[in-house]
Amino acid sequence: MSDDALHYDAIVVGAGHNGLVAAGYLAKAGKNVVVLDGAEAVGGAAQTAEISPDYQVSTAAHLISGFPRQIEKDLKLSKHGLAWATKDMATVALDRDGKHIVLSSSRKSDLATITAHVSQDGDAWKAFEGRVAKYVKLLRPLLDRRLPSVSADAATKTAAMLALRLEKMGPADLRAFLQLVPSSIAALLDRSFEGDLIKGALSLEATLGAHAGPHTPGTAFSFIYKRTQEAIGQGMGYPVGGTGALTEALASAAEAQGARIRLESAVTEILVEDGHTTGVRLADGTIFEAPIVLSSVDPKTTCLDLVGARHFETPTVTHVSRIKMKGATAKINLALEGLPTFENFSDREYGGRLLIAPDMGTVERSFTAAKRGELTLEPVMELVIPSYHDPRLAPMGHHVMSIIVPNVPFDVEGGWDEQKEPFVKRVIDTISDYAPDLSDKIIAGEVLTPPELEERFGWGNRGWHQGNMSFDQLLAFRPAPGMATHEAGISGLYLCGVGTHPGGGLTGLPGKLSAETALAAEKRS
Amino acid sequence: MTEEVTEQGAPEDEMDVSQQSPLNGPGVAPDPEWFEQVADEPPYSRNVRTTPLHLDAADESRTNSWSEWAGYTVAQVYTSIEQEYDALRTRAGVSDISPLTKVRISGREGVTYLDRLLTRPVGDLESNHSKRAVLCDGNGHVIAEGVVFRLGDEEFRLVLRSSHMDWLMQSALGIDVQLEDVSGTIAGLSLAGPLADSVLAMAGVKQPAELSKHQGMWAELGGMPVYMSRTGMMGGLDYELWCDPSDASVVWRRLLSVGKAVGLRPVGAAVRDIARLENGVALEGIDYHSAFTTLEPSDALSPYDLCLGGCVDLDRSVFNGQSALRKIADSGSTSALVGLEFDLADAAIVGPICNGDKQVGKITSLAWSPTLQCTIALGLVEASALGASDGFSIKTQAGENVPAKLTKRPFLHFS
Repeated sequence: MSDDALHYDAIVVGAGHNGLVAAGYLAKAGKNVVVLDGAEAVGGAAQTAEISPDYQVSTAAHLISGFPRQIEKDLKLSKHGLAWATKDMATVALDRDGKHIVLSSSRKSDLATITAHVSQDGDAWKAFEGRVAKYVKLLRPLLDRRLPSVSADAATKTAAMLALRLEKMGPADLRAFLQLVPSSIAALLDRSFEGDLIKGALSLEATLGAHAGPHTPGTAFSFIYKRTQEAIGQGMGYPVGGTGALTEALASAAEAQGARIRLESAVTEILVEDGHTTGVRLADGTIFEAPIVLSSVDPKTTCLDLVGARHFETPTVTHVSRIKMKGATAKINLALEGLPTFENFSDREYGGRLLIAPDMGTVERSFTAAKRGELTLEPVMELVIPSYHDPRLAPMGHHVMSIIVPNVPFDVEGGWDEQKEPFVKRVIDTISDYAPDLSDKIIAGEVLTPPELEERFGWGNRGWHQGNMSFDQLLAFRPAPGMATHEAGISGLYLCGVGTHPGGGLTGLPGKLSAETALAAEKRS
Repeated sequence: MTEEVTEQGAPEDEMDVSQQSPLNGPGVAPDPEWFEQVADEPPYSRNVRTTPLHLDAADESRTNSWSEWAGYTVAQVYTSIEQEYDALRTRAGVSDISPLTKVRISGREGVTYLDRLLTRPVGDLESNHSKRAVLCDGNGHVIAEGVVFRLGDEEFRLVLRSSHMDWLMQSALGIDVQLEDVSGTIAGLSLAGPLADSVLAMAGVKQPAELSKHQGMWAELGGMPVYMSRTGMMGGLDYELWCDPSDASVVWRRLLSVGKAVGLRPVGAAVRDIARLENGVALEGIDYHSAFTTLEPSDALSPYDLCLGGCVDLDRSVFNGQSALRKIADSGSTSALVGLEFDLADAAIVGPICNGDKQVGKITSLAWSPTLQCTIALGLVEASALGASDGFSIKTQAGENVPAKLTKRPFLHFS
């Protein structure tokens, strides 16, 4: 390889979805881009792999809810193989007696599932959704674009922007919103609903993947934030071929624009000279040169390990080192020789996102156990049968099931070697309460405990979002105060992972906004 | 059980009694009983701390007048301000500067650390040299200033007036450097005055005059190892002596006994304050507040405001405050610390600094200078007032305007 071949206009560190989106936009703008990743395949946390031969599943992240149509259009993803298996999955709160509640829709039949439990909750749901929609409208303009530019204090400007929109809401809504910001989701739900099941399901939705329980302050805002992200997206679903198909389409789109993707090339250092980014160094010593580097690695690792604290002023280092990243989850993927039988399930339910969270107490207890480094006796979880909408994932008539179990401690008491088997048994038993024939249908399975997720994806003990999605770490404070513009404070270095604004989930927005920032900065100079 | 006892007991029985004596040197573990037991003291349990020289200072004091410095008790006046000032400016004066904060910085990346911490690099500093150090926060405001000594390739000592260990520790994150607050393990003495050289020579220090400004060296004084540096804020011939706290008393007494012949006197805090003002030195906590202790954010000052621009080197790798200081350097500072001379003996009635009728600043410290025979002061004024054609004046509390002359610092020049 000649020396020229290692010189690029821009380097993207990490071939996860945000890294690939960033590379796509940069390449589209005519930049000579290379994406470097230590893994053997693109995708980061959005990868599809085999559980056993012929049974494929999204290994880690299994749902997409906040991916904007705009990015799909801009990067021509459908041309590169992105097709949606489903985009309008319903959220189903499973009930042991078969009186499941179908959420996230205004259909009359869905509403009936709520009133079947508690009659007044039907009206409460309408009112609740109406209020949530208002808050979503309030926040939305902050989420799909870059926060106010570097020139003035970004935090102040964002606050001013928010203040203006709050003022427009009127006193009653304003009061309700201000009350909501520090509230726990439990407080919000208790104010709104009577039924245990609906509260359990919504509280699981609000805290999934975070190191928080329903009673943790701030979870109400996290819930609204999540809903806002979904509003920017195209509805909940997954592409044909699992979440890995999204990143493959992104990779193909970026390559079509001329970007290069080099795998098995772990970046160990981002090079900085005299306050300017000059390139990166790989584990084998190879140096790639570029005046622009975008890192989708979490901000803490990027700044403190890849760049090195010495290249930042002390306040930045202090802020970055204090980013809270916590929230361990486990992932269980099952290959099934047929559809498990859930009572009273129709097409809509089988194809939906299934939540097992009978009440808020169960969700809270699972978090309490996690805090103590223990495994809860009654696990709560989110499960999906991806093969239902995408039959090619499994042989004819067979299925795959993808389960996310939150609040699973990284360092479990007794050690994972000992605890893994009882843990899996407990999860399967819990699902079997709803689908008694599940264990008969399992032919293969894959269990990824937090340490295994750490080894494979690097975020086992640090949550999915490269920084907790709580109010103190969102908007102008994401990833850290003074860094909300995707600029890392060193000329030419940008952060483009989910640790940056607007945050976690498979949204591609951090990648897009970061690339836009880099391009705008180049234009300025 | 019984076996163990015999095993342990046997050698003791055979041991010669003389071998148990502590004077027999190594081989015998010292018995803790031989030493005075010092109870662990919880931090901040003590409000009045004394320096290693406290008893010696008390011996010299004829006034029993003390003042507080960073929690320590130091002599305010030993005999009289006139006598002490006279000794300091015409012969020599010695004072206790042990309350200064001393931080040992060692490790492979000491230079990297200090380059990032201070507003100008230390890489060019040779061993046994020192330079003025200014610490800024992320907004380019001064946290503290002091002196950084290079004691070896990988060893530095930072001397400050106040402790900022938390900031120093935060700044060390990710850098291979060890920090240690050694304030309590190093005593400090200041020896200044035109005859300071002679005093040192008489005390047995070889060729002190060879030491140039900012330089340091190891010497022996009264049989004790002393690190002697040509640093200090008194102006003129200025030495600072750093030694082990247990040796400090010997050094102090040795200096006073040999210095008596040439008129050396202990100098208290009152005269030190006059002398530093004559030398034009502004102090953190008196003339300005550290960026960490200001109540109003606007009270925090940049090095440019304090006329320390010479200590800032912007064009180099990143250091704390760099990006903010670049902006301040472009836009210009908003205030300036200036020296003023005026004829007003009663310090108590001094009011704001005016420019015509307009109030443009305030006096931060002032003193009557016996050498200059006028009142000298440091004042913080609006930078915009500096170019005005009208001179400055001081408004007294009676409403009277006393004309004040803008004077370049230092006020007092030494040949």
